[in-house]
Amino acid sequence: MTKPKGLALALGLLTSVVMAPAAYAQTLTVWGSEQQSDPLVAELWEEIATSFEAKHDGVSVEYMAPTGNISNGAVQAAIQSNAGPDVLLTNSGIGRVTIVAEAGLVLPLSDQYAEYGWDTKLYPWLYEELKTQFDGELYEVPDGIDAIGLWYHKDLFEQNGWSLDGGWADFTATLDSIRGAGMEPIAVGVRGCCNGGHLFGNFLQAAAGSEVMGHVMKGEVQWADPAPLSGAQNLIEAVKAGYISPQMTGLDQDAAIRLWVNKRAALFVGGPWFIGNVRQNGYDVANLGYAPIPSDLPEGSRPTGGVGWSWMVPTSSDQPELAFAWIDHMLSDEIMTLRAEHPTGNQMMSRDLPDIQPAVAVMSEVYAAAAEGVGYNPSVYIPGAALDTYYQVIGGLIGGQVSAGDGMAQIDARMGD
Amino acid sequence: MSNDTTRAGRAGAIAARAAPAAAETYKDGSQDSAVTGFALLLPAIALYAAFSLLPILVTIWISFTNSGGFNTQAEFVGFDNYLRATQDPIIWQSLLRTFLWLIYHVVLAGGLGLLMALAISAMSRGRVFFRTALFLPHLVSLAVVGVIWANIYDPFYGLLNTVLQNIGLGGWIRGWLSEPMLVLFSVNVASSWQGFGLYMLLFIAGLQNIDRSLYDAADVDGATAWQKLVHVTLPGLRDVMTFVISLALINGLKGFATVFVMTNGGPFYASEIITTYIYRLAFSAQDHGLAAVLCIMMSILAITITVTFNRWRARGAA
Repeated sequence: MTKPKGLALALGLLTSVVMAPAAYAQTLTVWGSEQQSDPLVAELWEEIATSFEAKHDGVSVEYMAPTGNISNGAVQAAIQSNAGPDVLLTNSGIGRVTIVAEAGLVLPLSDQYAEYGWDTKLYPWLYEELKTQFDGELYEVPDGIDAIGLWYHKDLFEQNGWSLDGGWADFTATLDSIRGAGMEPIAVGVRGCCNGGHLFGNFLQAAAGSEVMGHVMKGEVQWADPAPLSGAQNLIEAVKAGYISPQMTGLDQDAAIRLWVNKRAALFVGGPWFIGNVRQNGYDVANLGYAPIPSDLPEGSRPTGGVGWSWMVPTSSDQPELAFAWIDHMLSDEIMTLRAEHPTGNQMMSRDLPDIQPAVAVMSEVYAAAAEGVGYNPSVYIPGAALDTYYQVIGGLIGGQVSAGDGMAQIDARMGD
Repeated sequence: MSNDTTRAGRAGAIAARAAPAAAETYKDGSQDSAVTGFALLLPAIALYAAFSLLPILVTIWISFTNSGGFNTQAEFVGFDNYLRATQDPIIWQSLLRTFLWLIYHVVLAGGLGLLMALAISAMSRGRVFFRTALFLPHLVSLAVVGVIWANIYDPFYGLLNTVLQNIGLGGWIRGWLSEPMLVLFSVNVASSWQGFGLYMLLFIAGLQNIDRSLYDAADVDGATAWQKLVHVTLPGLRDVMTFVISLALINGLKGFATVFVMTNGGPFYASEIITTYIYRLAFSAQDHGLAAVLCIMMSILAITITVTFNRWRARGAA
C-alpha cells in the first residue's frame, strides 16, 4: 500500500469511528415527575430510564427538571422557547390540556392510541371520558388518577376518639372537637394554585355529588345553581366556625403541609401525592390515615379527582417517535407495577392493576375509597380562562371577601370565555 | 467695541479657517463616510429593531387579534380587545393597585435609601461595612426575596409574628399576606427591601457632592441638625432625588416577581397589579390579545408618569 492510500484509509477509519456514535446516538429529553428531587423518587425514575435505554439502542434519556405546570404557564413557556422537552409529564385534565392543545403546543395523539393500543391500557371509563373531549381527538395519555380526600394523623385520631365516618353533621362535630383541642382543624395552602382547589372540590363533592358536578364541569349546570352553591356556602360556614382559618389564604401548599406535619393541624386535603410530601418532611407514613370527605348524599363519600397527570408530546419535540415509544413504555405492565409497588408509589395508576401490593400501606385505603370511582376536581376540568377566577374566588370565600352567590357567578361568567 | 462683538468676530474667524478643511473632508469622501457610518451603525440598528422595535410592533398587532398563543392562527378583531379591557373590572382594580404599588415603592424604597444614606454618611467609622451590608439585598433575586419574605410573614411559623408575640406585641400580629387591606403593602415591603440598596448608593454619591463649606457656614450661623438637613442637605440632593424617584417609578412599574411568588395576586385579587394580570392572561388563559392591550396600556402609563414627573421637576427647577 502506498503511503497516501494508507493515510486516506486510516483517516477514513478514524472518521467512521468518530462519526458512528454521533450518527446513531439520540437523546430523549423528558420533563418528568415534580417529585424527582426526592432521592428515592429519582432512583425509581433512573430505573425506568435504564429499562427504556436497554430496549432502544443508542438512546439515552435525560430528565429535565420541571419548573412548574400548565396552570402557572411554565409548560407553555418551556415549549414555546423551543428548548423544551421531547415528552412531558404534567398536571393535566381537560381544563389544562385545552390551554396547550388550542395553542397548538402539543401533538394530537389519536393515531398513536390506535397504533400502540393505548385505549386498552387505560381504565375503560377513563378512555371514554377522554374521547368526549376535543371532538374525539386525544392530546394526553393519563399517567395517573388523582383521588383527593382527607389526610389525618392516625395516632391523634385514635387518642382523641375522632372519626371521619358518618355524615356532614358528624364531620362538623369532629371538627369542633379538634378545634376544642387547640388544633387547626383543616390546613390548606390557598396561596398559589391548586390546594385551595382540592379543598373546594371536596366541599362541592360533599354537597352536590359527582353527577351534578359532572354537569357543572361540562357547563350544563351553572356554578350558581343551588347544589354547588351550597358547597360554597358550606365553605364559608366552615371558616366562620373556625374549621378553616382565614389566615390560610396567606399560606402556600408547602406551608400548609408544614403545619400538618408538625401536628398543628389535624386534616389536610390532598391526593396520594401527599404521601411523598410528608415523607420528604420526615413524617412517618405509617401514621397516615386517609378518608374521603363525609357526605349526606345517597352516593356516599367519594374522593375527587380525574386525570391527575398526563403525558403529552410538545409540537417542538425533536424526537416524536421516541416520545411515543417512551409513553408506551410507561404504560407497560412492567413499569406500572414497578411504580405502584415502589416505596414511593403514591399515585393511582391509570388502569386496573389487581395484583399489585402497594409498598405504602395507606395506598390500600386510597384504592378502597376510590373503588366506586372518583368525583370531580374542578381544577382539572374547568377551562383555563376560568381557572384563575376559580382560585381567586376560593381565596375570596375563605378570606370573607366574596359571598357564595357572587363568587359562583364570577366563575360562571368565565366558563364561556 | 463690546465684548460680545469681539467674541463673535473671533468665532467667525475660527469658523472661516475651519471651513476649507471641512469642505475638503466632505469633498474627499462624503459619500463613503455616510455609507461607512451607516454600516457601522447597522448592527446596533438591527439589534434595536429586532429586540425593541419589532416586539413593540408585534405587540400592537397582537392587540388587534384574537391570538391564543404563538402557534395559533390569529384573526384580526379590530378594537374588540380594547373594548373588553374597558369592561373587565379586574383591569381597573389592578391599575389602581399598580398606582398604590408605585407610591409604596417610591416612599418605602426611596425613603429607606435616603435614610440609610444619611445615617451612613453621618458615621465616622464602619461606613464601608454598612454600605456593603445594606446593598447586599439588592443582589438577591426577587423570586428568592419573595420566598424569604413569604416565610417571614407565615402566620403560624413566621419570624415577624413570632417576634411580635415574644416582645409582648401580640395584638399587632396580622395575617400579613391574607388580609386584603394589608397584603399589597406587605409584599411591597419585601420588594422595597430588595431595591433600596441601589437608591442608597445614589444618595450617598449625591451627599458626597454637597459643598462642605455650606455646612460650615450653617454651623457658624448656629443651625441645628434638622435645619442643616432641610436647608442644605435636601436641596443639595435635588438632582439625585429626581433621578432616584424616576428610577423608583420605573422599577415600581416593573414590579412582578415578588407579587407573583408571594401571593399570585390574591387573596381574591387583593394584590393583583397590572403586570401579574398580564402574565395571567398571556400564559395561563392564553388570551394574548387582551394581554397585549394591557402591555400597551402599561407602556403608555410608564411614559406618562415619567414625562409628567420630569416636566413637573423641570418647572419646579425653573
